[in-house]
Amino acid sequence: MASPNAVDPISGAEAVASVAERPRDADLGRSTFWSYFVRKFLAAVVSFGVTLVIGFVLFSIMPSDPVATLTRGRPVGAKQLAHLKETLGVDQPIWHRFLTFVGHTLTGNLGYSWQYRQSVAGLIESRIGPTLLLTGSSTLISIVLGLWLGARSGWRPGRPLDRISSGVSLTLWSVPTFWLGIILLVLFSVGFGPIPALFPAGGMSTPDYSGSTVGYVFDVIRHLVLPCLTLVLVVFAQYVTIMRSSIIDELGSPYLLTARAKGLRDDMVRRKHAVPNALLPSVTVIFLQLGGLVGGAITVETVYSWPGLGYLTFEALRTPDLPLLEGTFIVFSASIIVMNLLADMLYRVLDPRVRAQ
Amino acid sequence: MIGIMKRPLPLGRRRIAAFLAVIGIAALSLVAQAGSAQAASGTTLTVASDTEISTFNPFLAYFDGELNIINSIYPALTIGDAKNNPVGYLAKKWTTSGDKLTWTFTIRSGLKWSDGKPLTAADIAWTYNLVMTNDTAATANGSLVDNFAKVSAPNATTFVVTTKTPQANMLYTSIPVVPEHIWKSKVSDLKNFKNMDFPVVGYGPWQLVGYKTDQYATLHANKNFFMGAPKYDTLVTQYFKNSDAAVAALKSGQLGQAGGITATQFKALKNAPGIQTYQQAPTGWTGIEINPGAHTKKGKTIGTGNPILHDKKVRNAIAWAIDRKTLVTKVLDGLGQTGAGYIPSGYPQWAWQPTGTELVGYDPAKANKILEDAGYKKGSDGIRVDPKTGKKLKFRLGTHSDTTTDSQIATYLEGWLKAVGIQLTVQPMSFTQLNQDLAKGDWDILMDAWSTGADPTYLLSIQTCGVLPNEDGSGGNTDAFYCDPNYDKLYKTQIQQFDKSQRADTIRQMQTKLYDADVDIMLYYSDGLSAVRTDKTANYMFGKANAQGIYPLQNLFYNWRTASPVASKGSSNTGVYLGVGIPIAAILVAVGVVAVRRRATAADRE
Repeated sequence: MASPNAVDPISGAEAVASVAERPRDADLGRSTFWSYFVRKFLAAVVSFGVTLVIGFVLFSIMPSDPVATLTRGRPVGAKQLAHLKETLGVDQPIWHRFLTFVGHTLTGNLGYSWQYRQSVAGLIESRIGPTLLLTGSSTLISIVLGLWLGARSGWRPGRPLDRISSGVSLTLWSVPTFWLGIILLVLFSVGFGPIPALFPAGGMSTPDYSGSTVGYVFDVIRHLVLPCLTLVLVVFAQYVTIMRSSIIDELGSPYLLTARAKGLRDDMVRRKHAVPNALLPSVTVIFLQLGGLVGGAITVETVYSWPGLGYLTFEALRTPDLPLLEGTFIVFSASIIVMNLLADMLYRVLDPRVRAQ
Repeated sequence: MIGIMKRPLPLGRRRIAAFLAVIGIAALSLVAQAGSAQAASGTTLTVASDTEISTFNPFLAYFDGELNIINSIYPALTIGDAKNNPVGYLAKKWTTSGDKLTWTFTIRSGLKWSDGKPLTAADIAWTYNLVMTNDTAATANGSLVDNFAKVSAPNATTFVVTTKTPQANMLYTSIPVVPEHIWKSKVSDLKNFKNMDFPVVGYGPWQLVGYKTDQYATLHANKNFFMGAPKYDTLVTQYFKNSDAAVAALKSGQLGQAGGITATQFKALKNAPGIQTYQQAPTGWTGIEINPGAHTKKGKTIGTGNPILHDKKVRNAIAWAIDRKTLVTKVLDGLGQTGAGYIPSGYPQWAWQPTGTELVGYDPAKANKILEDAGYKKGSDGIRVDPKTGKKLKFRLGTHSDTTTDSQIATYLEGWLKAVGIQLTVQPMSFTQLNQDLAKGDWDILMDAWSTGADPTYLLSIQTCGVLPNEDGSGGNTDAFYCDPNYDKLYKTQIQQFDKSQRADTIRQMQTKLYDADVDIMLYYSDGLSAVRTDKTANYMFGKANAQGIYPLQNLFYNWRTASPVASKGSSNTGVYLGVGIPIAAILVAVGVVAVRRRATAADRE
């Protein structure tokens, strides 16, 4: 018999429905939900505030002289240097910069980039789409591939499929992303032997493209293949590993025996009963990953010249361009905190044990 | 009435196959469409952008990638010719007044901006006035008009500049001229104007018609350009975030030209079919600077520089202890020249190189002798000791942590100086940190690198006493705290010498002084390394290579205009078809597998 705390995989949905039908319990559930939500929301707001302060302090103690960096090698006189310093607010005391930073954050103004000489919000806005396209598609493929392989490997541990999938995924996980990216780039964008160049070496679309909209979509897909493949190959191992170990944990559970006793095929027992129970640890990883989507993938964006936020952050660090760093930091932190909040909420849906808290 | 919900029948294998076939055929037609649509109408030259691009506002642009485009879409009074000597562009001719303070330029008539409005001297005067009076407009080019008293356009073809003092480099200081009727309304928010209202109204060999953020800019040829229309219809400058990708794109034909490649890439491309590599004469140097005693304008000592380095003999010994040839061979893979004079050989009109006994070469024995004669005796650990203070000759060497060659050079310097009894402690640091230490005088020896345009005035100015910091440490722009009143006198002389050969003589004298001081020791000049697809593009480079195969300094204004397409021999689109087809096939296979599985397990679901 299943332990009292375990989800009843067979009748779980019905049980929840029957509970929800009882009015008093429903009211109680609703108020519990709101108090849970408010608690989590307040915690998220506090985390965000603390993250902002830490971020500001960290960036502020970095040695930075954006004026010297920007004008490096350029014939810029003392007068222009002084004006640049004043325009960029470089000479302002740290407390003044902090207040400006807090004020900007509260009003949704992310400041003015020293390096790009334009608003930080505009810079982020123009790059967030490509970033989400790359990280979103690669994460989706990684999740599907990783969970599928993990579930199959864990179901029959030690078998050839398990050995091959675990071995290959862990090997790829250990490979430096930029190295794999360069290898794929050299192989598939230059061609080798009889294989012609299959994919472009960089960018998100062919310059001067004059085809139809549908053709343009396929052009973007062609540009997306290598960066997406690089990310998938490096990342999917974590899903394989987590799913595999979760499934192995479930292997001895009596409810699986019950399911088999009902005459279900082994395949169905795995997919319908074992996998849903083994999914919870993966949800944590998935949401952590989703929170980081906005951050882009610095190395892959650099190797494939993808116009995303990761590379923007890298460039901001090189100057260093404090307003841009702070702006991207706000967006990244907010994204991770929001995704964590969503994960907390989703746990309530997925796991009745959390609802009971 | 009781409705009967009909469960959809599971697809049979044949149906799935038929469904996939239909989807596959549709996808293949799209693939064909995607492949054939690659060829845009007309001819296109795609080149790698030197840097990323974020603005086309000529008053704010700093990055080379931006400036290269701006110089092609906006005109200027003058422009450098193939030998980097200034020749007329908007200006047909010019005269100077007897007191050398007034320059009168005769402007070409009949030119029109790309929107059809006339381009006159009034546009030039408006642009220059804006740079002289508006701090934001002065951001990029303000220093070029610092010495201007006033500018005016008495009529449509005359532009007059009056300077505060005679200014010999006037013809080198042209700034991009913009159309007044477009820019007048932009002045109030110049700081935020990126100049991306396409097509951008301008005048030049090209017109800017589009830009994809962080990817590429598209330009169309101005078929009426008075110097001669470009041979290509379209020019694309694409930004690659790493040079390996740019080289891959060059090999696959995605790019027609790539500059700024590494020595390894250059050598690998040398025998690639259809690609020609070319070296350009250098425009900059890499060297070390030795702290000769950091001080303010009024002579107050600042910083923590080691006072032993104030002794010119120690600096001279260091200069003799460095094997510059080995650096060129090992660090540059032979693609450069050993350093000596302050102005690199890319500008032969100003460059100076020591000859005969002037030359300081690699001679550790001589370095040892200089130090020995000056009383710096070696201790038991092989490190020399200062006879006055008893302190060892141990110096810090600051390097740029983000520059690979710095760490390579530092390793050699450590060994060579140790051989003459000097110990170096290498301190890699960020560019910002190194600059901050430099300004405060908190350094002994630093890695240094500079490049210059055709007018060396600025490069020469950073060695004058006038750019030392103020008493409170602010306002300095010195390269290495070098200060010699005789050098300053020559600096003032050359800027007023309108005779080019006289000015060149003075500039060469200044370089001998810098060479003797051993404050900036030039290690090498690296050649500019580029490659071009000569099977697709002809006439890209201009000028003749010298005996060593090095081309004169190239100018993209000419490269892009003279380049012409080579008749295509019918290139294959197989790669493009496969490139689009493979992801589609992958999607189809995934859909197929799911469909088959759903059918196989339909009974279980029921």
